[in-house]
Amino acid sequence: MKKEIPLIITFISGLLLVVALFIPHEPFGSLQERFNDWYIIVSGFTLILGVDSLLLYHYRKIKRKEKDAPYSAILIFSFVTVLIWGIYSGIKHGNPFAPTSTFLRYFYTYIFVPLGATMFALLSFFIASAAYRAFRARTFNATLLLISAGLVMLGRVPKGEETIPYFIGITLILIALIFALEGIQRVNPYEKALFFVLSILSLGVIFPSSILLKKYLPFIADWVMNIPQLGAKRGIFIGISLGAIAMSIRIILGIERTYLK
Amino acid sequence: MLKIFFIFSLLPPSEIKAYDVPNDAGGRILVEWNLSPDDSLIDFYILFRQFQKEGTWALPETVSILKKGENSFIDQGLKNGISYRYFIRAVKGGEFIDSDYSNIAIPSAQWFHKKRLSALILLIIIVSLLLFYIEKAKKGEHLYIRKIAGLDAIDEAVGRSTELGKPLLFSLGLGTIAEIPTIAGLSILKRVAKKAAEYETDLIVPCFDPVVFVAAQETVKEGYLEAGRPDLYKEGNVFFLSYEQFGYAAGVDGIMLREKPGAVFLQGYFYAESLILAETGNSIGAIQISGTTAVTQLPFFVAATDYTLIGEEMYAASAYLEKEPLSLATIKGEDWVKILLIIVILAGVTLETLSFFVKNPFLHFLKEFFTIL
Repeated sequence: MKKEIPLIITFISGLLLVVALFIPHEPFGSLQERFNDWYIIVSGFTLILGVDSLLLYHYRKIKRKEKDAPYSAILIFSFVTVLIWGIYSGIKHGNPFAPTSTFLRYFYTYIFVPLGATMFALLSFFIASAAYRAFRARTFNATLLLISAGLVMLGRVPKGEETIPYFIGITLILIALIFALEGIQRVNPYEKALFFVLSILSLGVIFPSSILLKKYLPFIADWVMNIPQLGAKRGIFIGISLGAIAMSIRIILGIERTYLK
Repeated sequence: MLKIFFIFSLLPPSEIKAYDVPNDAGGRILVEWNLSPDDSLIDFYILFRQFQKEGTWALPETVSILKKGENSFIDQGLKNGISYRYFIRAVKGGEFIDSDYSNIAIPSAQWFHKKRLSALILLIIIVSLLLFYIEKAKKGEHLYIRKIAGLDAIDEAVGRSTELGKPLLFSLGLGTIAEIPTIAGLSILKRVAKKAAEYETDLIVPCFDPVVFVAAQETVKEGYLEAGRPDLYKEGNVFFLSYEQFGYAAGVDGIMLREKPGAVFLQGYFYAESLILAETGNSIGAIQISGTTAVTQLPFFVAATDYTLIGEEMYAASAYLEKEPLSLATIKGEDWVKILLIIVILAGVTLETLSFFVKNPFLHFLKEFFTIL
């Protein structure tokens, strides 16, 4: 019965929520809200279990004098300080987050918010390092990604259209230089000629491509975002939705029971 | 009855109509009107309501003060089965002019949401297909599922970590237990735990949500039990970390830098912290297997981790890993629904393209039918 009862509860609740989607009439209409209320109540109690686990984990580390024990001591000290401070401010001001509360000012505004902001700000550096790896033009697909991402970025930033001629100019000059250097190194006269022609062609397309891109850059950026990007995204969305439906049915029917002991 | 308290040159709003809002639990009436021809001159409108009690109309009550230019309002919190009527007052300075009364509207609850008929039909088709394949699986038919590199790599990642003598780290993201990606993550966690027990490698699971923490603890315990090594299970390795997004990210990053896990699994629902975790995992040289249904975070995982389970692959994980026929059957059914949807989408695109050349409203029927509100 240890497994059967939770499975019956899951089956009935799952079925009721599906029914509630199609029947707005009471008592079905407000079922989802009621279930959510119950979830909040239950999760409120499990928070105690969570805090218990956290404190016990770090207490054990201190007790065993593990190498990171000082960090655990800091965590427990911070936890107790914040808890006592919060309760004290709550009693004094009626709410720990009242505008006059020292808890709000010193802990929340001066410590908690800047720490969160710092972590979020670090994201930009991580984006740069991940983008560097993702955009290295090692394969044809990666090159396509690099070009389209460059065009989208330039098309979406202020003054992007004005920057593009310089961007294209510098890139094509570099490409022309690579072709010329490659041509110099070649021994075969035909190959040599081919690389020199490619080098001259690269220089020759700087002006027309800059003019064209300057004019059509926002359109290209929008096209990339609205057609290929959105198409791929919708494909993933459809897959995710169908996967979610199949998984839900597995849960409702009791086939998927990983969440049960 | 036209109620005019003060006649001046302004004209009142006209054609005031009231309807019961369709497809709801009742208690709401939609009021619409034509703006006063002098809308630009007035200051604001006041909407009044009257309800009928024992055959007589109660005194008008103010419902809302509306800006000029507004021509509809949904009146909420009404009693089902009671008759209501409305009129609207256009106000300029200290003067006003009232519209006619609207028709009488009675709010009521509906037993079926008509706009969701297409969803119901789709649901019936999907469930029927899934049940059909479940029945087939019960009869013992072999069901093929394509290879998923990210899931095949789990054993490799655990093995490599064991060889290096390093622990494994598994994050279930910021999702709650009520979210399906978390449940999918738990099924992958069970497999990882089982392998970790077989290879005698430590598995660290820092959790964001306390309910998920309890479920993760049970899942890991079950995995160790299935592997026949419950003695290796360390309760302290599955723990609650923080209920704050960047606090959690900082905590997991700290664990990665201190413990230097050989393999990092990021399986669940992630938000902006996804790349912070994946890049830190990359910086310590861990083999990383990620999976999420958060479409905005997928590119970050693809860029920063070795293997990524894209969307539905995550949901297929438990079926794929366990090779359990009933679960595999649902994946097979899902594939057929996909084919069906491709046909519907192609038909819709053809009809909508045709409608550009032939102005026939019938051509929009597929689009309208599948527009779910």
